[in-house]
Amino acid sequence: MTGTFIFNNLYIYLFLALFLLCSGIMGIIYRKTLIGMLISIELIMNGAGLNLVALNRFTSPDNTYGQVFTLFIMGIAAAETAIALGIVILIFRKFGHIEGEKLKEMRD
Amino acid sequence: MNFAEYIFIVIMLVTMIGSLVTVLSGSLIYAMIGLVVTLFGVAGIYIYLNAPFLAMMQILIYVGAITILIAFAIMLAGPMSKRPKEWTTTGKLIASIVVSILSFVVLYKAIIRGLWVSGKVQEFTLTTKDIGRTLLDKLILPFELISLLIVVSIVGAIMLALFSRREK
Repeated sequence: MTGTFIFNNLYIYLFLALFLLCSGIMGIIYRKTLIGMLISIELIMNGAGLNLVALNRFTSPDNTYGQVFTLFIMGIAAAETAIALGIVILIFRKFGHIEGEKLKEMRD
Repeated sequence: MNFAEYIFIVIMLVTMIGSLVTVLSGSLIYAMIGLVVTLFGVAGIYIYLNAPFLAMMQILIYVGAITILIAFAIMLAGPMSKRPKEWTTTGKLIASIVVSILSFVVLYKAIIRGLWVSGKVQEFTLTTKDIGRTLLDKLILPFELISLLIVVSIVGAIMLALFSRREK
């Protein structure tokens, strides 16, 4: 379908990815707990992947590098989430809470 | 406006509302459910971008794996009654809104001023087979490095859990 549909416009996808990025930034600043910040980082990663796929489909439709790199982003997001949640559970066992503001010391 | 456009607009609205719920809700469980809604919306957007394989991978990896990990972490990090409310001070709320709106404006101008598409929109005819070709012919080294990274992260997470238990 290559007519003048609303979903054949590149800018609407870029706008949606920008919306995801900005809400992710807002969540990182606004959230209190570490898990909330991690969820916001997932939003930012989704925005990046959406950007790559949209630019691949509209600016170079004869290869699939954008989609493959979105797959890489998904793998990196899975690894990062596993590590970060392990650290969060460790912080909860050590300090008894998971609030980012109250974590003043990293030693010991 | 035909039927597909209406569905596209609904998917976009669902994605945006889901991301706002993810950011602004008071409880972590609600934030996680908002994240699930957002991820499903992005999967629908991928289908509109002629990438059905990516949509399936999005649902499998993000909704199936990462969200379940986050749910386990939320359940392990203290009972519901002891958990702090997510609402912080109003100064922080104002700061976050200002920062996000500023970055939105700057990047929006960058999007509008960039000449991304020239001419008519071309048809996208590549399928999952071509994704596999690209992945295993040209980008084989990053593919293997990703698998190494995942192994390292899994071993690291296990080591973190083990060391914390030994301290007790």
